[in-house]
Amino acid sequence: MGFLAPWFLAGLVALGLPVYVHLLRKQTTVPRPVSSLMFFEQGTQSSIRHRRLRYWLLFALRTLLLLLLVLVFAKPFFRHKNVLAADKLLLVAIDDSFSMNAKEGGTTRLEEAKRQAIDVLGHKASGQKAQVIALGGQMRVLTQPVADTRVLRTAVEGITPGDGHGSFGELGRGMRAMAETVHTPMELDLFSDMQESNMPGNFADMVMPGNVSLVLHRIGGGAAPNWTVESVQAPAQLVDTKKARVIAVVAGHGTPASSRNVALVVNGKVAASKKVDVPADGRATVAFDELDVPYGESKCAVRLEAGDAFDADDVENFAVKRADPERVLFVHQASDTRSPLYFGTALGAAAQASFVLQTITPEQATDIDPTKYAFVVLSDVPSVPSVLENVLTRNVEAGGSVLVAEGMSAGHREHIPVFGGSVSDGHFYARGGSGAAYVGAGEMDASHPALKDANGWQGAKFFYASAVDPGKARVAARLADGTPLVLDRQMGEGHVLLFASGFDNVTNDLPLSPVFVAFVDEASRYLAGGERMGGARVVDSYVQLRNPVNATGASKTSVDVVAPDGSRPLSLREAAAAQSFQLARVGFYQVRFANGRDALIAVNADPKESDLRPVADDVLKLWTGAGAGQAETAGTAQDQQQGVSHLWWWIMLLLAITAVAETAVASRYLGTEREAL
Amino acid sequence: MLQRFLDPAVLQGISSLDLVARTVVDGFVAGLHRSPDFGFSMEFAEYRAYSPGDDLRHVDWNLFARTERCYLKRYRGDTNSQLTVLLDASNSMKYSSGAVSKMDYARYIAASLFYLAIHNQHDPAGLIVFDDEVRNYIRPSTRAGQLYRLLAGLEQAEPAARTDFGKPMQYFQQFLNRRGVVLVISDFYAQPEEIVRAIEPLRFHGSDVVLFHVLDAKEIYPELNGPAILVDLETDEKLEVIPDYVKTAYRAKMDRHLEELRDRTQAAGMSYHLLTTDKPLDRSLTEYLTLRQSQGSLARAGVR
Repeated sequence: MGFLAPWFLAGLVALGLPVYVHLLRKQTTVPRPVSSLMFFEQGTQSSIRHRRLRYWLLFALRTLLLLLLVLVFAKPFFRHKNVLAADKLLLVAIDDSFSMNAKEGGTTRLEEAKRQAIDVLGHKASGQKAQVIALGGQMRVLTQPVADTRVLRTAVEGITPGDGHGSFGELGRGMRAMAETVHTPMELDLFSDMQESNMPGNFADMVMPGNVSLVLHRIGGGAAPNWTVESVQAPAQLVDTKKARVIAVVAGHGTPASSRNVALVVNGKVAASKKVDVPADGRATVAFDELDVPYGESKCAVRLEAGDAFDADDVENFAVKRADPERVLFVHQASDTRSPLYFGTALGAAAQASFVLQTITPEQATDIDPTKYAFVVLSDVPSVPSVLENVLTRNVEAGGSVLVAEGMSAGHREHIPVFGGSVSDGHFYARGGSGAAYVGAGEMDASHPALKDANGWQGAKFFYASAVDPGKARVAARLADGTPLVLDRQMGEGHVLLFASGFDNVTNDLPLSPVFVAFVDEASRYLAGGERMGGARVVDSYVQLRNPVNATGASKTSVDVVAPDGSRPLSLREAAAAQSFQLARVGFYQVRFANGRDALIAVNADPKESDLRPVADDVLKLWTGAGAGQAETAGTAQDQQQGVSHLWWWIMLLLAITAVAETAVASRYLGTEREAL
Repeated sequence: MLQRFLDPAVLQGISSLDLVARTVVDGFVAGLHRSPDFGFSMEFAEYRAYSPGDDLRHVDWNLFARTERCYLKRYRGDTNSQLTVLLDASNSMKYSSGAVSKMDYARYIAASLFYLAIHNQHDPAGLIVFDDEVRNYIRPSTRAGQLYRLLAGLEQAEPAARTDFGKPMQYFQQFLNRRGVVLVISDFYAQPEEIVRAIEPLRFHGSDVVLFHVLDAKEIYPELNGPAILVDLETDEKLEVIPDYVKTAYRAKMDRHLEELRDRTQAAGMSYHLLTTDKPLDRSLTEYLTLRQSQGSLARAGVR
């Protein structure tokens, strides 16, 4: 027997209280006055004897009451040997994250984990139920609790190498959720390489519930030296192969300084090769100044000839689309010659942009077809023909994009074309009676694709801005006085980006700033859609297949996803309704979106998986809940486990009964005293 | 209807002792009118032949006119009887099991008797308050304001000290030089022999001595539900007693005490009356009038 809170036993000192009250404290009774005692005689002997009888009973009850109260707080329990291993649910969790592909001694870590898991399952008690769990980016329960070893063995053998990023926090959350429904003791055997990068930010996330005993099986020899291609920076879309530039970062984890060959692979063929000196446990950058890819989508990769035990992370994929320059329609007033000049210059100067600007006036734009353009710019147009506005609105809803600049001409009208909002006022900061004649940029949402480089915005001066009601639009940037400056509104499958000032140097000096080039470049690629759809992603990230607004609407355009292995993971029903899709494997996904556009998406493993450093032993001991030198390890799992039975409930029951008895006895005793008085 | 004001529990609500006395006596008198046995008004008793020295104011001149003989007209209430109340003001008189303590009850009796004697009978009345010493003495008189002096004396008689009949009674001898009625009001917590020996000399002057034994009903029949510690109000002595004793031995002792006291006082030619504080006051008044009447008869018989 033991106590979970033995310090509460100090409360036994309180037993002195009834002892003092009943034994040490002089019994006081209120004397009863009489006229004379001449007819009375002493009758003490029988009186005291009678009182002592009740005295001791009350004393015993009160002492017992305090004793039980102290015991309840001390949480007594006793261990018993009757909980057999057969009564305990065995959970076999196998880490199938990307790092488990590392090889040691000719076999991968995952194969070794599966072998040890099967060994544990083979030694489990007959009749004991077990479940098999795979732990990758998510925790997946592969079987129901079954006692059949063959079923469990099959499930273990069926685990294939995954590309996800393991997380012990995900395991902790999953086990806590399981403990809400399973109240029997559970033993979790985790087979993992115990990567340090699998640790969550908060240790509390990976803490196991009380009825789960954790047994860790470390797979692999620890921090093996590993080189990897950590990242690749390359254009998702290019026009001129001579201008394309690919920059790759090669990193070494626990590696000595050495030279490594890095190759640029285009559609399976090595297009270029370079040697790079990687410092010890450091990083090196290698640049390829030419990316010769054919027209259309190309599957590219930067491959490292590492020669280490973990070769799965030696390749970094990226997708590139080569096409003729796309046209951008720039609609402006005939009198406004500055806006097309600045916008066109910035568009041409953009390194990765591949657009050609076509400028026209609103009158000339009545019969244009916006689908032939990457996107349309309405630059401070005082009035847009309704025909043009309707055409543009339909185009946006179908997946097109429009950039609207609301310069000083916007003050003459309330309605904003295509965007749908209204201009409530125009802020002429230059006409302000007091203070500065301009305002600077305020809050910038750097997470917006069009504002990735937000550093140069702080120096820009805005002399005029239209006050636009954001409505449902996302405000990506504000001026210092809070006026929305850049707004993004999704309409159907497309986007409308609103710039609440002009593209000339009259309403602001942004076009004179270098950041204007970056803004035009990023906004163009965002509106053109190539950046949003193609490019490179990380395993377990999601790609949006269709606009959530239209997912349940009339638009039932089917999407299509082709996995790296050539399979189609979406069923027909899912293809008709799925809003997003999780990219679970490393490789190239061919995706057809709901707006009809196709994209080639390269998916790479999380770079954190390449760092094979294991978690420190003391942290693992802390996780298993064992003290120093007492960590549970494989093979120490006992066939017969000690069970713990808590007694506080029974003591509470006894406490209640004693309290009632004490009340009855005390009431009788004290009640008699009152009557006597 | 006024009879209910003889109830001591009702009188407890009246703060003025004067008003208590009036209430008691008026209620008592109202009750007497229905009784043929007693009368206290100036009713005609007899004619007596005039003898030299008699007060001419009492000559019946109408009769003299018709018969030319002098006769004196006598009335029943004509005689004067001095009333002296000896009030025990020891601590034991404080005892009370209900609304009225023995001291209060004794005060009501004394006040009512004073009112009856002075206001209705024109008798001189006096008061002696004692415990183990004589604490207050108001000489018997019929002077104006005597009633209020007596009532004030009663108000000031707060219980204190112990009872000792011997010393005060010797002191009383020098005051009681005239025949009358002597009322001793006490709870008589002493040996009957000692009490009678101390009080008996009071009647040597020809006075009628009456003992009003005032007790609380719970003193005669005490109730005890469990062991208790009792404390003597006069000596502060404590004693632990048990219910069994109170139910048997105590009651036997008390009964024996009361019986012995009654027998000895009557044997000594004194009247004895046991009054409990839960009983009306009329009994004491009746006793007084009875004695008053007998004294009147003695006066008519030429004893005086």
